[in-house]
Amino acid sequence: MNIVSTYTWCQFAPAFALVGLAALLILADALLPRLPKRIYACTGAVGTFVAAYYLYTGSPSNFLGCIAAIATGLSLLLAFDYKKISCESIAGAGNEEGTGEFYALPLVACAGILCLTQARDLVMLFVSLEVVTLTSYVLAGYFRRNQGSIEAGIKYLVLGALSTGILVYGTAWYFGMVGSFNIGPEIVLSALKGGVAGTPQLAVGFMLATALLFAGALFKVGAAPMHVWIPDVYQGAPTPTTAFLAVASKTAGFIVLCALALPFAPFCAPGSIIGKIIVWSFAIIAAATLIIGNLGALRQTNLKRLLGYSSIAQAGFIVVFFLNINPLMVNLVGQYLLAYALATLAAFYAIAMIRIQRGSEEIAAFRGLGKSNPRTAFLITVCFASLAGVPLTMGFMVKMYSFVAAITAIGNWCGICWLLPIMVITAATGFYYYFKIIRAMYWEKAQPGEKALQVPVCTGIVLTLCALALIYLGTMPLLLIMS
Amino acid sequence: MIPLAHYLILSGILFSIGLAGVLIRKNIIVVFMCLEMMLTAANVALVAFSRAQGTAGVPVYDAQVLSLFITGIAAAEVAIGLALIVAMFRARRSVESTALNTLKD
Repeated sequence: MNIVSTYTWCQFAPAFALVGLAALLILADALLPRLPKRIYACTGAVGTFVAAYYLYTGSPSNFLGCIAAIATGLSLLLAFDYKKISCESIAGAGNEEGTGEFYALPLVACAGILCLTQARDLVMLFVSLEVVTLTSYVLAGYFRRNQGSIEAGIKYLVLGALSTGILVYGTAWYFGMVGSFNIGPEIVLSALKGGVAGTPQLAVGFMLATALLFAGALFKVGAAPMHVWIPDVYQGAPTPTTAFLAVASKTAGFIVLCALALPFAPFCAPGSIIGKIIVWSFAIIAAATLIIGNLGALRQTNLKRLLGYSSIAQAGFIVVFFLNINPLMVNLVGQYLLAYALATLAAFYAIAMIRIQRGSEEIAAFRGLGKSNPRTAFLITVCFASLAGVPLTMGFMVKMYSFVAAITAIGNWCGICWLLPIMVITAATGFYYYFKIIRAMYWEKAQPGEKALQVPVCTGIVLTLCALALIYLGTMPLLLIMS
Repeated sequence: MIPLAHYLILSGILFSIGLAGVLIRKNIIVVFMCLEMMLTAANVALVAFSRAQGTAGVPVYDAQVLSLFITGIAAAEVAIGLALIVAMFRARRSVESTALNTLKD
């Protein structure tokens, strides 16, 4: 029997390299117990940055994979700074035993995301998605002396496995209706016409399968109503893991969503019934996600939990791009994810710094930073301003793209015009809760005895780079217009 | 010969029992069993479809390969899950989902 593979080994070279590196680190952990674990974090981060460079310069350039690789590298560097808390929560203060895998596993998850970007069929999609989620379960529950971490791990595992079950059941029905695991426009077209035999039941079964597949993908993204796990898991998981989940894992979700949605591009012309169903579903999901994310964030005092709700809200703005399904959409999704990734990663570095030195993750713990650490406070301000969408930051540019996408879609489908006011109101709500942190830094006084923060090296560099990138990418279009 | 529909009904029943169990049951070990049942439902459907899609008695093996992958992934999931449940039992002396109450709004 001839086996024809649609994949080449070259496509997976960066993923293999990362898995190899992770295997080496785990071996080193077992054989060289004296080696300081911080070396693992640095090696892993360097590995992912090299992979990101390779992906960016490769042809065709893999932009979403590049974001995921950089995010993994930065969350490893965050783990480097976070060592003190990791040791306390795993083996006891000052004891590094058993912390090695915490630095090696993100590499495996990153390899899974890189495979995901190459997936052209549902088997590849499913297996690489599971590589990402299974490692995330371990990472979320890794701090075994911390009640919150174990609880986050179990909640993530139960709800994640539920979404896996739904995704897999959808895959089974997709195969049953179509007879192959490939996802492409011609297969969708044939299935919607009732297959070779022309039976209408087949189209119904196919729509059921697709709905289940989309539900599984939307879970990863954290879109309503599959968002329930996000606040709990983000709050409970170790901060480096939360940073990974918030950025890399969310990117993985959007890669899956793009791969599933793109074959439907030819059916989204105005007037088609299928297009109407798809556009209305995405519009309702986007609106629900925006409302739930923003309303939930309003009353949070814990910054990690607030960023959980913020990630739901931002996902809502990204889902809006799916109202106009076309190949250009992937680029817009990538740009939005880049703006979100830079600001969110910087925010998690700030949380980790505060947690290590002031022992709290509450917003109130940022008090007085404007006085004691004016430069750091300014960098944090830029990041939260970008999340809120203040002009001259990248967050404003991408939010504008999202509004443009909504207006274009409303031009084609007048029925979803209610989406625009919801987007405006929720974008305005964002200003309220993101500016809570800025208010705490500049308007609230430090309590007596609180000293200025010592900014760790990695945190300083990453905060500066992220803030500069956000401002540069936010003003670049203006500079281009003026020159 | 048993028709395809019977397999699909079986798989649908398994999936519904699994889904209902995950949503209703409080004991996390039972919840895990229900999650496994959902994956099994997909396996049953895949193997049945692999026969149905085949020609002249030769099944399409793609689906059966996926069902092997699913079995492997389910095993990995259970290993991680049981480790987390043991950690939870050590910390709280309970495996009920009502004991998961540290993180809330």
